[in-house]
Amino acid sequence: MTDTTAAEPTGGQTRDLSGARDMIVCEDVSKWYGDFQALDGVSATIKEQEVVVVLGPSGSGKSTWIRCINRLEIHQEGRIVVDDVELTNDLRNIEKVRSEVGMVFQQFNLFPHLNILDNVTLAPIWVRKKPRAEAEAQGMALLERVGIPEQAQKYPGQLSGGQQQRVAIARALAMEPRIMLFDEPTSALDPEMIKEVLDVMKTLALSGMTMMVVTHEMGFAKEVADRLIFMEGGQIVEQNTTELFFSNPTEERTKLFLSQIL
Amino acid sequence: MSELSSHTGNITVPYTPPPETPKLSPREWVKENLFSSPFNSALTVVTTIILLAVFRGFLSFIFNPVRQWDSTATNMQLFMTRAYPDEQYIRVWFCVAVLLTLTGVSMAVWQAGSTVPVAGLGRKLLATGALLALLALLAPFSASATVQWLAAALAVAAIGEAIRRFAGRGESERTVSSLTVLVVTLAGLVTSLWVVPYGHHSYIAKRVPRVLAEPGTVALTTKLPWTIMLLIVVAAYFAGRLMRNRLPTNPTRATLLMLWLLAPFFLTYLVLRDPDFDMGHVLSTDLPIFAAYAVGGAVLLSWLTRPSTGETGRVVAVLILVAGFCTFLTPMRQVVRLDMLLLATFALAAPTFAGGPRARRRYIFGWLGVLGVMSWLITSINTPSTVTVPGGFFIGGFSITLFIAFIALVISFPLGIALALARTSSMPIFRQLATGFIEVVRGIPLITVLIFFSIMVPLFLPRGMHLGEVAAVAIGYVLFSSAYLAENVRGGLQSITRGQHEAAEAVGMTTAQKTVFIVLPQALRVSIPPLVGHCIGVFKETSLLAIIGVFDILYIGRIVIPGQTEFMGSTRENVLFVSVIYWIFAYQMSKASQRLERRTGLGER
Amino acid sequence: MTDTTTQERVSQRVPLWRDVVVLKWVTQIVLLFVVLSVMWFLASQAGDNLRARNINTDFDFLERPVDIQISEGIDTHPDTGGRALWAAMVNTLRLSIAGIFFATVLGVIVGLARLSDNWLVRRIATSWVEVLRNVPLLVQMIFYYSAMTAAFPRLGLETGPINGWLHVSNKGISMPRVHIADGFYQWMVVVLVGVVAAYFVRRHRQRIQDVTGANTSPILWAVGTIGLFGLIGLFVHPVFSWLGSVFSAVADLLDSLPVAVPQLLFSAIAVGGATVWIRRFVSDHRSARGHLSLTDDDWFRIAFVAVASLVVVFLVVRWSGLSAWTLNSGRDLFEVLADKFNVDGAARPFDAMRPDIVQPGKFPNYGKNGLTMSVGFASVFFAVVFYTSAFIGENVRGGILAVPKGQTEAAKAVGLRRGQILRHVVLPQALRVILPPTGNQYLNLTKNTSLAVAVGMSDMVQVGTTVFNQTGRTLPVVAIWMLFYLSCSLTISVVVNWFNVRMRLVER
Repeated sequence: MTDTTAAEPTGGQTRDLSGARDMIVCEDVSKWYGDFQALDGVSATIKEQEVVVVLGPSGSGKSTWIRCINRLEIHQEGRIVVDDVELTNDLRNIEKVRSEVGMVFQQFNLFPHLNILDNVTLAPIWVRKKPRAEAEAQGMALLERVGIPEQAQKYPGQLSGGQQQRVAIARALAMEPRIMLFDEPTSALDPEMIKEVLDVMKTLALSGMTMMVVTHEMGFAKEVADRLIFMEGGQIVEQNTTELFFSNPTEERTKLFLSQIL
Repeated sequence: MSELSSHTGNITVPYTPPPETPKLSPREWVKENLFSSPFNSALTVVTTIILLAVFRGFLSFIFNPVRQWDSTATNMQLFMTRAYPDEQYIRVWFCVAVLLTLTGVSMAVWQAGSTVPVAGLGRKLLATGALLALLALLAPFSASATVQWLAAALAVAAIGEAIRRFAGRGESERTVSSLTVLVVTLAGLVTSLWVVPYGHHSYIAKRVPRVLAEPGTVALTTKLPWTIMLLIVVAAYFAGRLMRNRLPTNPTRATLLMLWLLAPFFLTYLVLRDPDFDMGHVLSTDLPIFAAYAVGGAVLLSWLTRPSTGETGRVVAVLILVAGFCTFLTPMRQVVRLDMLLLATFALAAPTFAGGPRARRRYIFGWLGVLGVMSWLITSINTPSTVTVPGGFFIGGFSITLFIAFIALVISFPLGIALALARTSSMPIFRQLATGFIEVVRGIPLITVLIFFSIMVPLFLPRGMHLGEVAAVAIGYVLFSSAYLAENVRGGLQSITRGQHEAAEAVGMTTAQKTVFIVLPQALRVSIPPLVGHCIGVFKETSLLAIIGVFDILYIGRIVIPGQTEFMGSTRENVLFVSVIYWIFAYQMSKASQRLERRTGLGER
Repeated sequence: MTDTTTQERVSQRVPLWRDVVVLKWVTQIVLLFVVLSVMWFLASQAGDNLRARNINTDFDFLERPVDIQISEGIDTHPDTGGRALWAAMVNTLRLSIAGIFFATVLGVIVGLARLSDNWLVRRIATSWVEVLRNVPLLVQMIFYYSAMTAAFPRLGLETGPINGWLHVSNKGISMPRVHIADGFYQWMVVVLVGVVAAYFVRRHRQRIQDVTGANTSPILWAVGTIGLFGLIGLFVHPVFSWLGSVFSAVADLLDSLPVAVPQLLFSAIAVGGATVWIRRFVSDHRSARGHLSLTDDDWFRIAFVAVASLVVVFLVVRWSGLSAWTLNSGRDLFEVLADKFNVDGAARPFDAMRPDIVQPGKFPNYGKNGLTMSVGFASVFFAVVFYTSAFIGENVRGGILAVPKGQTEAAKAVGLRRGQILRHVVLPQALRVILPPTGNQYLNLTKNTSLAVAVGMSDMVQVGTTVFNQTGRTLPVVAIWMLFYLSCSLTISVVVNWFNVRMRLVER
């Protein structure tokens, strides 16, 4: 049903993910807000270590979809299975999925009353029950990884947008997730700050993280993505490997979208 | 008291003072501010005339020889503490000393005070001198008195002008800490007690006439304690500065806050009341119950907080809660029930708030501390007092005003937060219950609530259980205050963006963790201005105690003193004094809140 | 989240104790149970204690004689408890309405004065606010009371005939007033007809204005129409005396109806209303494709409406006294109306009278001719007006400051004059900010009038306290208080909200 042979060369690297296990499986997922249908039978599978970029005009349901994967939104029909755990009303499954899936938001959503280090270590200490010293060491390591260890004692309001978004990535990574979801991570940033965030995301992708990214950054998609998914009106219109998607789109709507955005 | 202000989640906006306006010469200033247009000039003239007339009327009220200001001066002790026995009065001073020590230390630790320009002080003194001169001219004084007042006015104005000259201008402008100004002012007031002949008033119950008013300075039992109090607060401030430099900030502040919370309970129950503990009963009953709960609870909590315990722990916690409610079905000691409910609360929260081994230990110590304080409080409330006061209740006057305001605020604070959370919850039954309670309480006047509680609480209790009228009324205050407080907190809760909730959920926090770590800290910070307003409101509303016949400061000023044979019909003087007392406290609180708003930049948008 | 079609597709079953939806509802129901059982426990305790002390909780005291003297108002020596509370309620309402009006006027003045260019005026307004806001209302009230009792002269018959318009003494302040006379109700009918006519006149003028663009001042015309009818009504009101027989016919009809009729009517209204509401609610939440998505709240609402309607039906059927009471009071109402219309044709609608002094017993007092407020009333009135004016002043000031400076500058740039700017640009925007907190202040003012009990003015609380002290019916009196004050609060919030919504519409 879905095209999962993403063995094309992407961004200078060759990856064969055909043997990898399924990380996220969506079957016929639908969701309504009142009488507006936001998702309409979305089906897709994402393999371990795969990087998938979701494209689409605004209002096409891409954000809703990845928020359903984290159960920030609740789908009403269909199945979502994340790392062999099905998302249901089961308390235990929700807790498990939340700690396996990290999420980065468009508006950063850092906690403004905590300093940067506390932002990163709060969840490991209270959710993963790590001792504080260990959590702080890990937090500093992560801040170093995203390139801002010197800001650890500052507050979010004192940081630039790009720095805040990198802290948000570090905060999500501190829970040691197996999947990272990015909901338009660069849309709220000034142009000169986009690159620093994308660079962090690229290193993350190279390190083998399974990623689902909603973005309009075509450069990032071409360079890093294994596969692209194009959505419109709550449905998946087309999904294909990066190269084929850009060079040879099959659907008319995809072509139209690409012609507008490129 | 319930003006909600909707702030966005802006937390740290640095405050920038407005740019300095260029200084005008006095003539320009007068033209600009008083006579800028014909209409304005007319307005100025008319208001000046009216103002002078009102001021003169007020002065001839105050300085009228028939005014019985003696009644206020003689009954100062009655106003403050009602009939607390003289021989035990050292206890009252001890309480004041403890509170002042805390104040001094806290002012140092929180770095209260600011720098004020000396020139501004000079200008203020100058204005005070002018006002005094006006007073001397308008008041119905004799010629010699007028001259004396005028001389005083001139002296004040001269000091003001000297300070202004001394202050310098522009770059070299001198500034002074506002705390220094405060201490100098207070020292001046205290010194005046030793120097100025305010008059020596004493009230001797066994004599006729009972009031002895002699010229001279005030009694030694007044001026000596106040001098010591001033020394204590200054000493405490310097001790606090030492602590600030040597101790880590956050634990010190937390400890001080705890002390502030506990001090009133400790002072009222241990010092003012001096409970006569029945040691046999304490050893045979109270201590064993405490020990059983302490040990059992600690073991249980250390098991519950272990991460490996998992869902079984929640089931056990729920079972304890159910058991806690079941204790109400059979007769047993009240302490056992309350401790059980407390344990259930701790058990329910345990899996959420216990992290690593250190956090677990802290949690268990928290349980022991809360349990200890509660056991001690229950024991000392149930123990008879050795201080016997007429009328039974051991505090009265202004101290009962402060006591009720404190109790109402401290207990209604958690209750109000819980109500606000319930009202904004996604669970419909919670929300409807909270909304119903809040709206009903907010819809009816406080006095009906108080009357209802003072009459009905004895009826709601099972037979054999008693509750004093003050306690019953305090329940009314708590419920009333919690409904309003909930609305203030709700304003803060609604200012938290959805993104904050989602971010907390996305990193795997449970609803309780999200609320405690993310939502409440931000919401409460936003609600600080309305919450201070609420505190002022509750403080003012304690005056309603007078209506239901509690001997608060207003009741004493309106009924008790004008009823004394010596001071028949001195209602106006004493009620005016009461309003001045209320005004000073409420005004200082509102000023402090404005300063706080400016400092945190909350008022700025 | 409890979706209709999800369940069959879920492959693994969720155990009940881990299902978040189940947990959520169980928690809520347990809490509801706890709250209800605590309330039941308290109620049963109170019931036991009341029985043990032989205290009743029924409302029969409303019909029984009481010995209460009321300081002022429609009835100073009421014969029953109900009448006493009624007179007290009128006093409270008078106080609140007059207080709201004057507090608003004074508050606006204070607010504007705080923004004045004149330094002196600004300082006075600031002191006014800072002093009055920070002294408890009760303390102010008692101070005014003691000041007035000390300052006002004693009232005596030897004071002689009053020629002045205003008379001040320790018995209060008395002013001339306009009385409602026998012809008033007929005159009111004329005015009502005038209101209807005014509605059409306004519509007509508005249409002309819309078509031609000329300013036809429709509101002015409407007000003029009502005024005209009022004026004509002064002379022609007896033409409506035939309404009296209509009303007495209605009263007879109500008298002859069996109790079952209102019972059926109420039940039908409850059930029918609930059904219509639920059906409309469900159809509103159904998407075009027939997908029904209801949240927890929606289910709660539906269940609540259904249960509430059944409870109403149960109460109506079980407690037939309610229906009988409705019939009786309806009949009484129409009989009273019939009586009011059955008057001499020459009766005037109004009478104007000056204050007078009478001496029915030992002490002289003001008679019924003048509009008299006792010293208690005056002290409560001044206290609440001054106190509330400080808060309203702050609201007004805040609201005006909240209008961005650019608005005034833009208005200046298009050449509006100062007054025009205030009226057309600043005030409409400021009102949106001012109105909600000011509505709150109106609520507070109404509740604060209850402090009148401290100065012996007969308001709801003072009379209620006397009533339950004499009859021992504490709970019923508290229930009446709650009902009264809650309805006042509700009325004020409805009115303020209505204005608020209108302001929002104007903004668009």
